[in-house]
Amino acid sequence: MQGLVKDLTALLGHSQVLSHPEEMLAYANDATHYFKSRVPDVVVFPHTTEDVSKIMKYSFEQVIPVTPRGAGSGLAGGCTPVHGGIVMDLKRMNKIIEIEQNNMTTIVEAGVVLKPFQDMLEKRRLFYPPDPQSASVCTIGGNIATRAGGPRGVKYGTTGNYVTGLEVVLPDGTVINPGGKFVKQSVGYDLTRLMTGSEGTLGVITRANLRLLPFPEANRTIVVVTDTLEQAAEIVSEITGRGAVPAMVEFLTKMAIAVMNSYFSPPLPADGEGYLLMYFDGTESQVEYEARVVTEICNDLKAKEIRLVDDKEAANNYWTARANVYPLIQTIFQRATTEDITVPRNKLPELVRTVQSIAAEEGIMIGLAGHAGDGNMHPSVLFTQITPEILEKADIAVDRLIRAGLDMGGTISGEHGIGIHKAKYLEWELGLVQIELMKGIKKVFDPKGIMNPGKIWMEEGGDVHV
Amino acid sequence: MSMYKLEEYESIIEKCSHCSYCQSTCPSYLSQMSESHVAKNRLLLIKETVMHDRMPYSKKAQELLDTCLLCTNCTQTCSSKVPIVDIIIAARIKTQEKSGGIKQTVMSKMLAQRGLTGVLTKAGSLAQKMGIATKEVPPLAAKSFDKMYSGTYTPSGEVKKRVAYFVGCGTNFFFPDTGEATVKVLNHNGMEVVIPPGQVCCGIPTLSEGDLEGTRSMLETNMKILADLDVDAIITDCTSCGMMFKEKAAKCLPEGDPLQEKIAAVAGKMWEVTEYLQTEGLAETPGQLDIQWSYHVPCHRGWSPTVKDAPRKLLAQIPNARLNEFGNPEQCCGGAGTYYMEHREEAEKIRDMRLQDINQTESDAILTQCPVCRFYIGFKVKDREVTHPIKILARSYGL
Repeated sequence: MQGLVKDLTALLGHSQVLSHPEEMLAYANDATHYFKSRVPDVVVFPHTTEDVSKIMKYSFEQVIPVTPRGAGSGLAGGCTPVHGGIVMDLKRMNKIIEIEQNNMTTIVEAGVVLKPFQDMLEKRRLFYPPDPQSASVCTIGGNIATRAGGPRGVKYGTTGNYVTGLEVVLPDGTVINPGGKFVKQSVGYDLTRLMTGSEGTLGVITRANLRLLPFPEANRTIVVVTDTLEQAAEIVSEITGRGAVPAMVEFLTKMAIAVMNSYFSPPLPADGEGYLLMYFDGTESQVEYEARVVTEICNDLKAKEIRLVDDKEAANNYWTARANVYPLIQTIFQRATTEDITVPRNKLPELVRTVQSIAAEEGIMIGLAGHAGDGNMHPSVLFTQITPEILEKADIAVDRLIRAGLDMGGTISGEHGIGIHKAKYLEWELGLVQIELMKGIKKVFDPKGIMNPGKIWMEEGGDVHV
Repeated sequence: MSMYKLEEYESIIEKCSHCSYCQSTCPSYLSQMSESHVAKNRLLLIKETVMHDRMPYSKKAQELLDTCLLCTNCTQTCSSKVPIVDIIIAARIKTQEKSGGIKQTVMSKMLAQRGLTGVLTKAGSLAQKMGIATKEVPPLAAKSFDKMYSGTYTPSGEVKKRVAYFVGCGTNFFFPDTGEATVKVLNHNGMEVVIPPGQVCCGIPTLSEGDLEGTRSMLETNMKILADLDVDAIITDCTSCGMMFKEKAAKCLPEGDPLQEKIAAVAGKMWEVTEYLQTEGLAETPGQLDIQWSYHVPCHRGWSPTVKDAPRKLLAQIPNARLNEFGNPEQCCGGAGTYYMEHREEAEKIRDMRLQDINQTESDAILTQCPVCRFYIGFKVKDREVTHPIKILARSYGL
C-alpha cells in the first residue's frame, strides 16, 4: 500500500492525498453506517478533470478499485468502498463554470454543493428544483450518480430530469462529453441518461450541464392534520385526481411530528395520526387556486386541522424540520433504517395500510414518512434496541414491504439508488434478463471492474450487514 | 453530564447518524475540504482512540482533534443533538490528564492572575518561545479596564435596574473601550452598574485546552464574587464568556458540589449586553448616526436564543444606521480564542474565506460581540472600523 500512496502523491502532490488511518474513518461509509463499511486504503482529492483522468489511468493500469464520493450523505451505501482501494473525494471540484440565463442552462463541477448553488440561483430568479433533503451538504455529482430527488419530485421530477449533458472520465482515463447545453437531442443511445443513476460504476462524473427554470413568483405552505393515516393518504390521492399540482406533499406520522414540533409555533396538535405538509408554487393566481382546491378537498374528507402558513419564516421552519427528520429520529431511537419504496400514487392508501399491518404482524416499529405526492415513501424500521432477533424481524419485515410495494406496481427505489443496501432486491424488480443486460453494459465501460465494485447487484457471498 | 467525563458520552456519541450535515457549517472542514476535519470524523476518532483504545492516540489523532476550533457550529447544526463540542472538550481533558501538558499551566497562570502587571507580556514571550504564538498578537491597552473602572456607577436619574458587569479578558486587556461604552450606555438607560473587583478569566480558554483544574479554580474565584451580588442581571459584553457561564460552568464540577448553586445563580442572571438592553428596552432614544454596518455573528451564540439578533434589533433603533447583511453572517473568522496562535495556517485560511464577504460590503463598520473576532478580523481590515455594537450605540447617544 506504501507504493500506492507514493504513486498517487507523485501524481497529485501531498495536499491531494490522504492515507493516515485516523483521517479516513469518515470515508468508510455514507449515512448508512449500520451496513457493511470499510476504510479505504487511500483518499484522493482531484482538483481538475485532468487529475481525475490521471488517477483513473493509473488505477486502470494497476487494477485498483476506485469509489467516487460526494458528501457521503447517501442512504444506500453507494460510496462505501467495500473493496478498499481508492476513494475519490470530488468535493474540491466545486466551481460553477457558467450560467447562461438566456439559454436557461448552467455548467457545474461535480463537487458543487446543492443548497448554496440553489440559493445563488434564486438571487438571479433562477430555479434548479431537485431537492434531496441533504441539500445543505450533498453534491450535484452525487445527486446525478444516484438520480437523487426529494419532495419536489411530485411537480418537478428528480435530478435526472435536469441533466442535459455530462463530462465523464472513463475507467481508463478517457474523457467523454455526452449531451450538451441543449434541451433535446436525438443522437444514438442516450449516454447522458445512462450515466445518470449509474452510481459511480461506469465512470467518474466530473461536470454537468443542467437545465434551469424561472424561479416561481409565489408560494404557499399548507399543513393538514388527519385522524387516521389512511385519511391523509386519501387526501393525497384526491388532490392528484382533481388536477391540483402541489410542488411538495410530505406525509408524516405522529412520531415524526413529535420530534419536529419544537420547530413549529404554535406546535402541531399531537393527537393527529396523519400529517401532510404541502407546498404550492407558481403564479399568485395559480397558488391561490390550488390552495383553495386543496382546502375544499381537506374539508370534504374531514381533515382535523388545516393550517395555511403565510409567514415566510414560519413556513421555512416546517421545511427545515422536514429536512432534519432523519437525524432527529436518531435522538429517540438506537437506529433507524430507511427504505425508498415508490408506488403508483393511487396505491398510497394501500401502501400505508400494508406498512401498518406488516409492522403489527412482525412486532416491530416502522415509522412512515415520505414524499407522498409522487408515491415515494420512506418506511423506516425504528430500533429501540439492537438484538439479533430484532434484526432478523426487521429483515423479514423489509422483505415483505419491498415485495408488497412491487406487487402494487411500484419500485424498490425512487431516489436513493441501490448501492449495497438494496442489491438484494434488484432481481425482484428487474429480473435476470435486465440484470444481465446491465452487467453487459458495465463490462463494456469497465472491463477490469475497478469502478465502485460491489454495488447495484449482489456479489457472490455479498451481504449488506456488518 | 458532569465533570466532562468521556465515559459518560459513550451512548450519546452513537447518536451520530453519519448524515454529514455538519459539513455545511464546520470552518475546519470548509477550509481543508477533507472529511478528516469534520465533526463526524472527530467523533469516530475519539471513539477509536481516546474512548476505546482500538487505535493508538497518535500524533495525527491529536492533530485532528486539536484543529477543531470548538466554534460550536457543528453542535448547532446537528439535528441528532450530539453535544460534539462537549465530547471534544472531554477528550482533550482525558488526553491532557494522561500527558500533563505544559501549555495548560502557562495559560491558566496567565489568565488567573489578572492583577499582576506585565503577566501577559511575560506569558506572551514565554508562549512565543514555546511556539504557540503568532506575529498577530493584539496590542495590550495602555491601561487595562480594571485599572480605570471598578466599583459602582450610578446613573444620574432614576435607577431602573441594578446590574453587575463581568469583564472578560478581551475587554480588560485589549479593548477597554468596549467596557467604557458598556458602562456608559447602561448608565444612560437608567441602569446602575456594579463592577466587583477581583474578577478573573471566565475559563473558556483553559477549558478549550482540556485544563479542567485551571478552569475550576477560575470559576471558583468568579462565582464567589458574582453569585451573591444583589443585582437584577449579570452582564457580559463577550459571547464566549456568556457561553462559559451559561452552558459550560456547571459541567466542570460534580453535581452535588457546593459551587453548583452559585453557578446556577450566575447562569440564571447572565446576559450579553446588547441582548439585555434589547430585552429591557431602551429608555433613551438613540440619536441619528449616518453609518452602514455589517454584523459578524460570533460562533458562540447558541447559549441564548436572543443573543444573535439583539444587535440587529438594537441598532435598528438608531436613525440612519443601516445594516448590510453578509451573505453568510454566521461564518467563522478563524480566531477562536487562542486557536489562531496555535494553528496559524488553518486560522488564516478560515479568515480568508470570511474576508470574501467583508471585502464585498460597502459598510463603514463590521460589528461583532466577540473580542477575538474583533481583533482577528481587524488585523486584516484596516479600511473600516471593526468594533463591538455597543460602541455604535454609545456613539449614537453622544457618549
